[in-house]
Amino acid sequence: MNRFRLSERGAERLSISVLLAPAVAVIVLLFLGGLASGFLRSLNYFPLIGLNDFNFDAYFAIFTDNGFLQSLVLTFHIAFTSTLIASILAVASALLLRPAFRGKRIVHFFFSLNLTIPHLVGAIGVLYLFQNSGLVSRIMTGLDLIQRPADFPAMVFDPWAIGIIIQYVWKEIPFIGVIVLAILLSVGEDYESVARSLGANRWQAFRQVTLPLIMPGVVSASVIVFAFTFGAFEIPYLLGRTFPAALPVLAYQSYTDVDLAARPQAMAMAMVIAFISTLLIMAYMKLSRVYIRE
Amino acid sequence: MTQVTLSGLTKIFDQKSPPAVDNLDLEIESGKLTALLGPSGCGKTTTMKMIAGLLRPTAGDILFDGDSILSIKPEERGAVMVFQNYLLFPYMNIADNIGFGLKMRKVNKKEIRSRVEDMLDLVQLPGFEDRKPNQLSGGQQQRIALARALIVQPNVLLLDEPLSNLDAHLRDEMRVLIRRIQTEMGITTVFVTHDQEEAVVLADKVALLFDGRLQQFDAPDSFYDTPNTVDIATFFGGTNFIPGRYESGEMTTAIGKFRAPHSLVPEGDAVLSIRPEAVDLGEGGENSVSGTVLSHVYAGRYARFQIRIGNIEIEAVTEPGQVKLFADGDNIPVRFDPDKIWVLGPNAAEQPAGATTA
Repeated sequence: MNRFRLSERGAERLSISVLLAPAVAVIVLLFLGGLASGFLRSLNYFPLIGLNDFNFDAYFAIFTDNGFLQSLVLTFHIAFTSTLIASILAVASALLLRPAFRGKRIVHFFFSLNLTIPHLVGAIGVLYLFQNSGLVSRIMTGLDLIQRPADFPAMVFDPWAIGIIIQYVWKEIPFIGVIVLAILLSVGEDYESVARSLGANRWQAFRQVTLPLIMPGVVSASVIVFAFTFGAFEIPYLLGRTFPAALPVLAYQSYTDVDLAARPQAMAMAMVIAFISTLLIMAYMKLSRVYIRE
Repeated sequence: MTQVTLSGLTKIFDQKSPPAVDNLDLEIESGKLTALLGPSGCGKTTTMKMIAGLLRPTAGDILFDGDSILSIKPEERGAVMVFQNYLLFPYMNIADNIGFGLKMRKVNKKEIRSRVEDMLDLVQLPGFEDRKPNQLSGGQQQRIALARALIVQPNVLLLDEPLSNLDAHLRDEMRVLIRRIQTEMGITTVFVTHDQEEAVVLADKVALLFDGRLQQFDAPDSFYDTPNTVDIATFFGGTNFIPGRYESGEMTTAIGKFRAPHSLVPEGDAVLSIRPEAVDLGEGGENSVSGTVLSHVYAGRYARFQIRIGNIEIEAVTEPGQVKLFADGDNIPVRFDPDKIWVLGPNAAEQPAGATTA
């Protein structure tokens, strides 16, 4: 009887493995395989173009290169600033969307609408709106707020990456907001009622009670946003400067460089991006586990 | 000590449905323990939240010691509400939970610590400062929630179903604790419950609500002895009703005439009510009729009989020894003690509010 059960369980396990095999194969071959080959190339091993000796030259080169360090700082700036602004605005919007009001469904629909819009479309929108020849600068010229469209402050291809941050904030507010709103609704308003009744004013009730309750969710969502904005290519490619460029753009530039010797460096940069993203994802998983335990 | 007056208090959540609280007038005495009793959905908790300032009334007024407090923010009312599901802040330890109200009032840390200690002694959980809420049992969490409310020395303490989430044994302990603390501190206390026994045992006065309307506001025993309506008597359970006509102190029913000096109605169609404990078996004389024992149950501390009189069935609860005296099928005299008969109007809607013994 016992053996029969064991073999039944064994068969179940086998069938699960078989069913999962295609998905696992894709992950292993494309993702881990790609990662491994990229790692080898970053260590100067790329027989196809005649590189056969393992060394850390590429890493040494990028970490001593001023341009790479500037890119690293810029990428941190983009990811950190977008995540912070998006998180604050997302929490504020979730608080506004929480109470029942007339037309809540419609407002909620429009709030989460741009979750479905691709980043590229957002980037083009930012270009049209905030370039020197864009809609905003023309309207301001038309209203005589500025003399010529060229007087409009640079918000695209600018050193502070304002256009990139605007695009990320626009796109990520609903992402964090929807998560925070779900937590707010499940927590309910009773904890705040308790706090108010015990003598907390509105701000104290938010700061001491609501915020700590939603914080694990805010942190989890923002870590995802941070990791994404840190590693994403297309937005800084479309809206950013060529020098210093964000890390993923720099990695791409090096990879497509006519000088084949730059390839190990491109791969080393990709590895640095992957490493930082992995760290963030691990932090996220740890945080979410703590959150679930509570 | 604060006297709480509700005057024409009304709350409408949705224009399409009837008011949750409908024109409620209530005088809650200072320093007393008052129960808001009623079936679920009768507006008890809504009333409580309005007193605490967590909900805004649609109409009417709330007065503390004669002054309207409607414009005063919840944090400044001094009316602290303890929720049914305790709602201890999960990420704070017990000391921080209890000290929360004092921290909001910017009391210094040393004083908070010493007052938290006093509160833990009061609720009989000394040394619990560093624990987290999820390490506590339901009963312990309830006590901490009570301590968290009491530490701010509220004018009015509002308890939402304080005993309903506890098992029977803890319930008795909590009951005693609430009563003791309330008496010691003399805080005007209002508690909400759906359990009539809980209300009767704990409260000085009980306000019974059905569908957002006040049915009767009285001392606990009145609900058993002199209820205002058949509905109220039914809510408190177990009473025998016999319809008939009431005239000059006598109730004429299908099973006979009964002298009944205590009546809510002067005369006319009425209902005789008598509690099972007031039905005397085997006794003849005035107010007695003949009945047949249908069945009986021996329950240790008492016995319960089903009796048929004419075409009416009634219940009698007697001392346990009586099971030996009467067997099923026996014809026995059944007497209704005139002093324990209470005559009610036949229809709840026709009753004047607040009427007592005639």
